[in-house]
Amino acid sequence: MSWNIFLLELRLLARDKSAWVLLVLFAGTVSYGISNGKAAGVRVSDAGEGARDAVTKSHNNIKQALRKRAENSGGQQAAYPSDYVASRGFSAVMPPAPIPALAVGQSDLSPPSEVVSIFGSSKPAENRAEIENPSHLLSGSFDLAFVLIWLFPLFLLGLTYDLMAGDRETGTLRIALAQGISPFGWMLRRSIARSLPLVIVACLAVLIAWSSSEAEVAFARAAFAIGVVVAYSLFWIALSMAVNTVAKGAASAATALGSAWVLFVLVAPTLLNVAVEATYPTPSRAELVAAARQEALVVEKKARDVANSFYESHPELAPKNRRGMIFSQRLIREQEVFEAVSPTIEKFDSQVEEQQATVAKWRFISPAIAAHEALTDLAGTGYWRYRAFREQVEGYEKAITDHFHDKVHRGDGFTLNDYPLVPQFQFEEPDNDEWTSRAGVGIAGILGLAVVFGLWALVGLRSSRMGRLSA
Amino acid sequence: MIFSIARKEFRDAWRDGRFRVAAVVVLALLGVSIYLAYQQVDRIQHEREEAAHNERHAWLEQGQKNSHSAAHYGVYVFKPVAPLGIFDRGLEPFLGTSLFLEAHKQNAATGLPAQDATAMRRFGELTAATAMQMLAPLVIVLLTFGALSGERQSGTLRQLLSLGVTPRQVVFGKAVGLGAALLVLFVPVLVVGGIALSKLSGSEAWGGGSWDGGWSRFVWIGVAYSLYLLAVLAISLTVSAISSTPRTALAILLGLWAVNTLLAPRLASDYARAQEPTPSLAEFEADRDEELTKKGLYGHHPHGEWVTKLRDETVAEFPDRRKAQAVFQGRLMLALEERQAAVWGKHSANLWDKMEAQDRNVTWAGFASPLLGLRSASMILSGTDFSHHRHFMEEAERHRLKFVHVLNQYMIDNPDKAAGHGAVAGKELWEKLPQFQYEPPSNDDALSAATSGLTVLGFWAIAACVLLVLAAPRLKPM
Repeated sequence: MSWNIFLLELRLLARDKSAWVLLVLFAGTVSYGISNGKAAGVRVSDAGEGARDAVTKSHNNIKQALRKRAENSGGQQAAYPSDYVASRGFSAVMPPAPIPALAVGQSDLSPPSEVVSIFGSSKPAENRAEIENPSHLLSGSFDLAFVLIWLFPLFLLGLTYDLMAGDRETGTLRIALAQGISPFGWMLRRSIARSLPLVIVACLAVLIAWSSSEAEVAFARAAFAIGVVVAYSLFWIALSMAVNTVAKGAASAATALGSAWVLFVLVAPTLLNVAVEATYPTPSRAELVAAARQEALVVEKKARDVANSFYESHPELAPKNRRGMIFSQRLIREQEVFEAVSPTIEKFDSQVEEQQATVAKWRFISPAIAAHEALTDLAGTGYWRYRAFREQVEGYEKAITDHFHDKVHRGDGFTLNDYPLVPQFQFEEPDNDEWTSRAGVGIAGILGLAVVFGLWALVGLRSSRMGRLSA
Repeated sequence: MIFSIARKEFRDAWRDGRFRVAAVVVLALLGVSIYLAYQQVDRIQHEREEAAHNERHAWLEQGQKNSHSAAHYGVYVFKPVAPLGIFDRGLEPFLGTSLFLEAHKQNAATGLPAQDATAMRRFGELTAATAMQMLAPLVIVLLTFGALSGERQSGTLRQLLSLGVTPRQVVFGKAVGLGAALLVLFVPVLVVGGIALSKLSGSEAWGGGSWDGGWSRFVWIGVAYSLYLLAVLAISLTVSAISSTPRTALAILLGLWAVNTLLAPRLASDYARAQEPTPSLAEFEADRDEELTKKGLYGHHPHGEWVTKLRDETVAEFPDRRKAQAVFQGRLMLALEERQAAVWGKHSANLWDKMEAQDRNVTWAGFASPLLGLRSASMILSGTDFSHHRHFMEEAERHRLKFVHVLNQYMIDNPDKAAGHGAVAGKELWEKLPQFQYEPPSNDDALSAATSGLTVLGFWAIAACVLLVLAAPRLKPM
C-alpha cells in the first residue's frame, strides 16, 4: 500500500506537463550554474598562475642578468644587492579550490595570490582585490550554489505546495482518508515522490561539479555536499507539509510558502548580517590609514639625514656604500610603523573572526545560511580556506623577512646560488577534520530544522484532527 | 463607476490580512534599513573627514625633505560618502574607499567594505533600495494576483458585469484603488528618507554646498521607483485578468518575480562579461608593467633616447655641472611622471571603459527585465554606481598629477637648494599644495547618465499599461 501511493504519485507526476517543465527548467539552471562555476574556477586558477608567472619572470630577468655578468667577468660569481632581489617579492599562490564548480564563494573578490616582500608593510590598508566589475559582485554569481540555495527551494515548493490543500478544496482528501491511510504517511509519500526527481537532479549536479574538478578531490567532499542538498531538500519538504496541514487552500499554501522562502532566503541572511556587523563592527579603514600615517610621521621625523629620505626613493642614485644603510633604515622604519598599527590590524581580524563565529552560531536561523556556509566550505571557496591562505601568507611573510633581514641590514650581495635557499610558499590545505566537522554540524542543524517542521506536520495530521482536515 | 470600484478596492486591500502583514513587514524593513543606513553614512562621513584632516596634518608636518621625496611620501585621499547612500548603497561595498597618491604610480582604491565582512554580505544588503526593488513587487503580487482572477472564480465578476459595468471600468477601478493603497504604503518611506537626507545635507562630505541641488536626484529616484512599481502593478493586473484562476495568476507572477529579481541580474552580468571580458588582476598588472618596461619607464630606471636628449639639452643649457645635474633630475622626474601617467592612465581607462560598457549592456538588458533599468538609474542617481567611482578616481588622478608636478617643478626651479640630488623644501611648499577637494558629478550629469535606465523604466511602464488596456476588454466571467 505504501509503495502504491508513492508509485501512483510518481505516475501522476510523469503525466503532469507542468512538472516536466519545472524539471527541465531546473536541469537547465543547474547545468548553467555548473558551467559558470567551472568557468569562474578556471579564471581564478589562471589568475593565480598569472601572478606566479609575473613574479617568476621578474626573478628570471635578475637571474639572466646575473648569468650575463658572470660570463662577462670570466665566470666569477655576480651579485645583486639583497634588498633589490627581496623588493621584487615572492609569490604565494593558493591552488585551485577542490570543487570550484560547486560555488564561486569569495573567489571573485579575494585574489588567489599575494606577492610577499620584506618592504611595504607600512601600508597595511592596501589589501588587494581581484578585478571584477562591482556590479557583478553586487548581482552575485549564477553558480551551482545559487541554484541549489535560492532556486531549488522554489522548484521544490512549486511541486509540493499543493500536497493536501488542493485535495481538501476539491473533496478528494475525504475519499483518500476514507481508505484508512495514515494522513502523515500519505502526505510524506506524496511529497517525497514529487520531490524525488528534483533531488536526484540536484545530487547529480553535485557529482558532476565534483567530477569536473581539475585536482583529485576526495569523494568525501562531494558526499558531504550531497548530504547538505538532501538535508536542505528535507527542510523545504517538511515545511511544505507543515504549511499544507494548516493552509485553507492551495493559494494560501503557496502564499505562505512563498513568504517563508522570502523570510529564510532573502530576509534572514541580511538581518543576520546587519546584526553581526552591528555587534562586532570592524574599525574603519580610514582610521587604520590615519594611524599608519601618524606613526610614519613620527618615525620619519626621527630620520637624521634628509638625503637618506631621497635615496630611499631613488636607491639607484645612491653611492654604493650607502645603499645598505638606506635600506637598513627603511626596514627599521617600516617595521616600527607596522608594529604601531598592528593592534588596529589585529582588531580588524579579530572582529571579522567574531562576525564569522557569530554567523556560525546563528546560521540555523535560516537553512539557507547554513547550506551556503557548508557548500562554500566544501567547494573550498568559502571564508575558512581563504582565512587559512591569509594566515599561511602571514607565515610566509615572516619566513621571507627572516631570510632577508640580516642580508639587507648587512648589505650582502645576492647570487644565483642564493636563489634555491629562498623559502618557497606551499599552501597546506586545512585538515579534513575541520571542514568535515563544520559541514557535519551544518547538515545536522538543517536536518534538525526539517525534523521540527516534520513534527509540526505530524502533530497537525493526528487522527484526532482528521475531521477538521478533511472538512 | 471607476471611482466607486477604486474606493472599494482600496478598502478591501487594507482589510486583507495578507496585505497588512506584508505591508507591516516591508515598512519595518524599510524603516530599519533607512535608520541603519543613516547612522552608517553619518559615521563614515565623520571618519573620513577626520582621516582627511589627520592626513593634511601629516602632510604639512612631514618636515624638511627633498621635494621629490615628498612626492613619494604622498597623500591619502578618502572617497566621500554619497548622502543618497542612505537609500541605495549600490556598489559601495565593492569599491575602494581610500586612495594613496604618490609619484610614479596610479594606485587602485583600497579598503573594500566587502573584504572586511563575512560571506553573509553576498546574500545582499538590507537597504531601502533592495526592499523596494525586491520586496515591494512581492507585496504588489500578493495584493493583485486574485484581484481579477478571484472575482472571476468566485462568480462576482459575472454579477458586476451584469450591472452594466464594463470590463475596462472594472480593471481601471481596481488599478486606481490598488495604486492608491500602494501610494499610502510607500509615501511615508519617501518622507522618512527626505527627513534623513535633510539632516545629512549640511555635511561638507560630498561636494559641500553643491548637495543643495541634490534634491532633484531624490525626486528622480522617486520617479524611477514609481515607474517600476507602476509597471509591476500593471503587469500583475494583466496577468490576473487573463489567468483562469488565482492559483495560475500567482504561479505566473511569482515566476516572473523570480526571473526579474533573481535570474536577470546574474544572467545580464554573465552576458555583459562575455561581451566585454575584463582581465584578471595579474594579467592587468603584467600588461601594464610590460608596456612600462618596453618604453623604458619601469620604476626609477628610465632609459631611451629622450633621456639622453634631455640630459644633453640640460648640460648645454647650464654650464655649472652641479646645477645642470640638479635641473636634469627635476626635468627627468617631470617627464618620467608624464610618460608613466600616460601608460597607467591608458590601462586604467581601458579597464574602466570595459566595466562601463558592461554596465551599459546590463542596463539595456533591462528591456527584458525592469529591475536592471531601475538598479542602474537608482545607483547613478544615488551616486553609488561605478561612473561616480570612476569620476572620483579620475579627479584624484588629476590632483596627483598636479601635486607631483609642483613638487618636481620645485627641483627645477631651485637647483641651488639641491642637497645631493634635488631641492630641499619645507612647510612653505607643502602649504602651497591644496588639500584634495572632491566635487561629485553635477546633478545634470547624473541625470544624463541615468537616462538609459529611466528610458528602460519608461518603456516598461508604458508597455505594461498598454498590455493592461489591451487585456481589459478580454476580462470575461467563467
